[in-house]
Parts: sequence; structure tokens; C-alpha cells
Amino acid sequence: MSDATSNASTSTSTRGSAAGEHPRDHAPAEEATLRRDLAQAMSDAASAGEQPGSELCLKVANAAAQVGETATALKWLRRLVDAPPSFRTWQAAVKVLDRLDRDEVSALTQRTSRAAVIGSYNTAQLVPMLRLAGVRAGVHLELFEGAYDQFQQDLLDPQSALYAFEPDYVILAVHEGALTFPTYAHDPDAAVAAELERWRGLWSLAGTRARARVVQHTFAVPPHDEFGHLGARLRGSRQSLIRSLNAQLFEAAGTSCLVVDCDRVAATVGKERWFDPRYWHLSKQAVALAALPVLAVQTAAVVAGDLGLGKKCVAVDLDNTLWGGVVGEDGVEGIRLGAGVEGEAFVAFQEALLALERRGILLAVCSKNNDSDAREVFERHPDMRLQLDRVAMFDASWTTKPESLRRIADSLNIGLDSIVFVDDNPAERELVRQLLPQVDVVALPADPALYVRALLSYPFFEATALGEEDARRTDLYRAREEAAALAETMSVDTFLRSLEMQAEIAPVDDLHLPRVVQLLGKTNQFNLTTRRHNEAAVRAFADDPGAVCLYLKLRDRLTDHGLVGVAAARKDASVLDIDTFLMSCRVIGRTLERTMLAALCGAAAALGCTTLRGTYVPTAKNTVVRTMYGDHGFVLLVDVSETTTWTYDIGQRGPIVNEVIEIVGLTQ
Amino acid sequence: MTYDTRLTELFRQILDEPTIELRDDTHFTDLPGWDSLAHVNTMFSLEEEFGVTFTGDEFGRLHTVGLLKETLQRKAALP
Repeated sequence: MSDATSNASTSTSTRGSAAGEHPRDHAPAEEATLRRDLAQAMSDAASAGEQPGSELCLKVANAAAQVGETATALKWLRRLVDAPPSFRTWQAAVKVLDRLDRDEVSALTQRTSRAAVIGSYNTAQLVPMLRLAGVRAGVHLELFEGAYDQFQQDLLDPQSALYAFEPDYVILAVHEGALTFPTYAHDPDAAVAAELERWRGLWSLAGTRARARVVQHTFAVPPHDEFGHLGARLRGSRQSLIRSLNAQLFEAAGTSCLVVDCDRVAATVGKERWFDPRYWHLSKQAVALAALPVLAVQTAAVVAGDLGLGKKCVAVDLDNTLWGGVVGEDGVEGIRLGAGVEGEAFVAFQEALLALERRGILLAVCSKNNDSDAREVFERHPDMRLQLDRVAMFDASWTTKPESLRRIADSLNIGLDSIVFVDDNPAERELVRQLLPQVDVVALPADPALYVRALLSYPFFEATALGEEDARRTDLYRAREEAAALAETMSVDTFLRSLEMQAEIAPVDDLHLPRVVQLLGKTNQFNLTTRRHNEAAVRAFADDPGAVCLYLKLRDRLTDHGLVGVAAARKDASVLDIDTFLMSCRVIGRTLERTMLAALCGAAAALGCTTLRGTYVPTAKNTVVRTMYGDHGFVLLVDVSETTTWTYDIGQRGPIVNEVIEIVGLTQ
Repeated sequence: MTYDTRLTELFRQILDEPTIELRDDTHFTDLPGWDSLAHVNTMFSLEEEFGVTFTGDEFGRLHTVGLLKETLQRKAALP
């Protein structure tokens, strides 16, 4: 694949690793070694403290996968997601997950769902990470990845592979570069309205044609602005336009579309870390690789929330969690709450819990205490923010926390997997992890000042505000109407025209030679013959009066894509034989090949040829162009073990033309 | 872990090939499963692992293990 930007496939690397797939096929000696590896990895992880680093989690998961212990492997992959993220370990973890038996993973995960990821940037790394994050969030995701920057074509074309995939969710992984905003808009309302209409149109298509829920990534406002602070005040500045669009998208989403607030996610990561220009130029990563695990987790959390897997209850410990000290020993007067650094931190934590309660999360108390001691603090301490009437279930006793959590689940009539356990004591947390793995545990840090952050950065409280059933129905009808209207005014053809594409086609000269040779060397997908001509060979074509070697540059309303196409052909009597025909994967799906064929028709005429002849040589990566010649009216001549040769009679059928791309500067 | 082992581990993990051995004259494109995606993933993983930052020019220029080690040694002051 050229330029590292395209990978339109749903395939996941299912390496023929005998270890992962047929654990029982191991020779006994090998099996014993692998089991020892697993035991060693687990003991390393156990001695690494409460949250082993992602590298250790990976090691255990991998060792468990090797001996076919899917449940153990999954458990440690989930723990890896909770560890501070590292791109490298996530990459490796994704591959471990891919090796696990899909049916088993599905059975060991609460829900299974199909999600199509279509985006405006290179999503090759994000997509498998979503699978890993999904498993953590309780959703086994079957994933489809759209081709690079073809999210609009995929939705507009009713025959697209996206629709054939029949997704439950369509994840729009887009970035602010995909917006058509200028650096300054004289009519900001019109600019925002136009973008809003475009996105709503795409939502409607996903909703009506695929019956899928859209998950819209909204747009991170870039951290720097040419207007400085004035930019925030100017309604027409690009940052104001993006903010305004985000706000309107949130509103338009209503209950029928899900959003991931990427501006906020980017802020937590740090805006300068969110976007790394080097990797944008290298391979069109609009979200820095370091930030992808966070984006994957947040997206998975939103999907899980929509599937009803969002957590419903926080079960909270009391001593040293809601206040400092132990009430049974220190008495109500002796606990630290209200005054002082620590006392204020506990108040802040109680307020954060209350805020969760107000948005609908149930609060339960899960404490080892005499019931009366515990209640006395609530009733008598003047700085208690949390009051008993806000606590849905009060369980203070001397039984174990797992037993207490079971009682809480029973009395509130919710599943254990809806409960998040919050306790300052690492030993209690570990016991719950061991005995009630369904219960999620928030590992409070040692310093109470950081409790609030630990609680609020826990991502799986997501819920879709479910409106009235009637309201949703209204949404659906509205969406259907919009899609119908859109289908009338919008098609792939009109979309392509709206891009105002201009192609520059000319014979290769010294100035363009290096890029042409580079493309010849690395283009794998849209490459009909995959002949890796070197510089000398290209020169030979260019200098041969009986041959033609063309480069093609493309620009559109939004972007200058640069040199993205190469075609070389040689005259053979009245036939122009196409030796090389390739295109960067950045521009697949824009009908540029038609323009290149049109240019070859022109070249044929100039050389006195009346027929084009093209060959397709199959490789592992170029199936995307298997029928390209046939799709453009060529007739199949021969098929020798899938290498196919095609001809196009220009005299009889007329030259090929492409009406959606304007050709400029064609010199022949 | 020595620096050479860390490097080998990293390539094995990213390419998902547990038997890869690196020599100074190993050309990246000779490694099993190497493609432009593996290139990007490897470059970033190296940055993460060794705390270095490559320039855009280095992305294109570093294509053997020897060149990579030389650059890492210079940038990360590794032995």
C-alpha cells in the first residue's frame, strides 16, 4: 500500500500461530514450557503492585493465549487497557486479541456488535485498538474499516462495502482538517450551517440505509490560532466556526446519534500531543498514535453506553474514602472532613459523587463498620455533603466486601456488572477483583486530593440520554425525510463534482522524476502491474518517442494532493500498450483512473494508435483494481492464470472522458 | 535488558514475528510483514521506547538496522 494511508479491509492478522489456535496440539514438553511461562508471567504481574504496567499485562495475556486460556488472556487484556497506555503494547495486545478464538471472546464478552469505521484520516491503527477497547467496555466488536478518506463516498454510494457489511454502528472518525472552513468566514452562520447540513445528511444516510447508529467524533479545536486571543472573539475565525459547529452537532445529534467529544478528549491528552504534524505528513495520522488508545477507549465507552452497558451504580467505602480516618476509632469528632487540605479533598470527592448521583448514577455505601457508627457521621457531621437520602443502599457491616456488593446488587435489582467499586484500600480492591470480576474497580490514588480525578476519568459511566419513545420516532421520521431529500440532491457524482477536482497531467520531467520513482516503488494497491521501474527505466520511457510516461497531480477544493498518479505506455503498431498504471491510495475512489485513461486516449491519438491495451497482474494487495479495465469499457482479451489483458478500441467506442475532474495544463 | 535486546523485542512485537533476528545490515524491507504501516508503527514505538524524536527526514532515511542504531545512539545517548 502506498503512503501507509490505506487499508480497506476487515481482515485481522490471523497468523498461523499454532500456539494460539490449537493449544492442545503442543508436544507435552512444549506445553509444559508454555505453562511455566504463564505461571512466571502471572507471578511477575502479581508482585508488580495493584496495577501492573501494560507491558506485564501483555506478557500474561500473551502467555495465556499461547496455552489457549482465552478467559485469562482476555482478563489481562482488559487490565492492560486500564494501565497507562503505551502505543507499542497496545499494538502487540491487539495482535494477541486477534489470535484468540472469536467465538470464545464473544461468549466471554457481554455483547457483540458490528461497527464500521469510516474516516478522514488513516484509521489503520485506531480500528484494531477499538476492538481491544471494546472488549474492555463489554462489547465484542466486529469491525469494518473504510478506505482512507472515503467516508462520504461510502455513505453516498448505496452499493458500498459499508452497507454490505450491515453495521450496527457507523463510527465517523473524522478530524477538523475534513471541514471546509476558511481561516476567516465573512458569513460564519452560513459556513457553519453548510457544514451542519453536510454531517446531518451523512447521519441520515447511515440511519436510513444501514439502520445504523452513528458515532460522530466531533472536532478538536487546534491549540494555536493566527488571531491569538482575538480569534475566540471573532465569530468568523476558524476556531469559532469549529466550536460553533461542535455545539450545533451536539444539539442536532439528539437521541438518534452518538457523539464523542473529541475536543475534550484532546484536552485531556494535551492539544499539542493530540496532533503530531510529523505523523500527519508521514502517513496521514490526524490523531497522534500516542493518543489513539484514549480515543479508542472513549469511543468504545460511548458504544457500550448505548448498548446499555454503562455503569449504573457506585458502591463506595467510607473510612479514608469519604472522610479521613476511621470513625469506629476516631469518633465523629475525630475524622478529617471539611477543614485542612485533606478535609477539603474529601468534601470535593463527596461533591463529585453527588454530581454523579444527580445525573442518575445510584450511590451505595459498602463499608466495614458498625452500622450506627457509620450513619452517625452522615447524621451529625456538619461537613458531610453526601446525605443519607442520596444513598440508594446503605450496607455497613462486618462481612466481606464481595458479600456486601452482592447484597447491594440484589437490593437495587441491578447486575454486578453495573457496579463500580470505589475503595481506598488496595487489599479490598484486589479481593473484589478476584472474587467478583464482573464488578469494575476504580483504583483510588494514595492522595485524596486526586480522588475526584480518578473517579471522573473512569470512562464507563456513559449513557445515552434516552428520550421518550415518541421523540425517537419523530427523529426517525425526520431522518428519513432528510435522507430522501438528500438522495435527490446528492449522489456520488454530485459529491465528486462538489470537490471541484482539477488534474494536471504531463509527461514526466526531471523535476517530477523522484516522486514518480517513489510511487513506482511503494504503491501496492492501486497498481495494475506492480512493475518497480527504477529511475533509468522511467527515463527510457520518457525519452522514447514511441512511448509515453505521464504523471498526474490532483487538487480539489480542500487539498492539494500532489503527484498521485503515474501511467506509462509504449506504442506497438496501432496499439498503445499500458506498461504501468498506478495511483496513490490517498485518492482511490475519486474516479481519477478514468482521467488517467482519458489522458492515455489522448496520448494514443498523438502516437497514431487506435487501441489501448492494458494488463492486470494480480498480487496479494491489488485486488482493488482486478476489474478496473472492465469497469471502464475494456474487453477481456486473455486470462492466463488470473493475469488478464484487456483492450479498448478508441476508434469504435470513442475516447474515454471523465466529466467530474477538470484537466488543467495537459501538455502532450 | 540490553539495548540490542530491547530493539529486537520491539521489532518482534510490532511485526508479530517472535523469531526476528536483527543485524546491522538488515534492511527493514527484508523483515517479514514489513510494509508502510509497519514502518509508521515501528518509528513511533521506537520514539516511545527510547524517548527520542525523529525528524521527517529521518523517517525516510532510516531503512537499515545499522543506520537506526547509529541515530538512536546519537539521539538517546545509548551505549
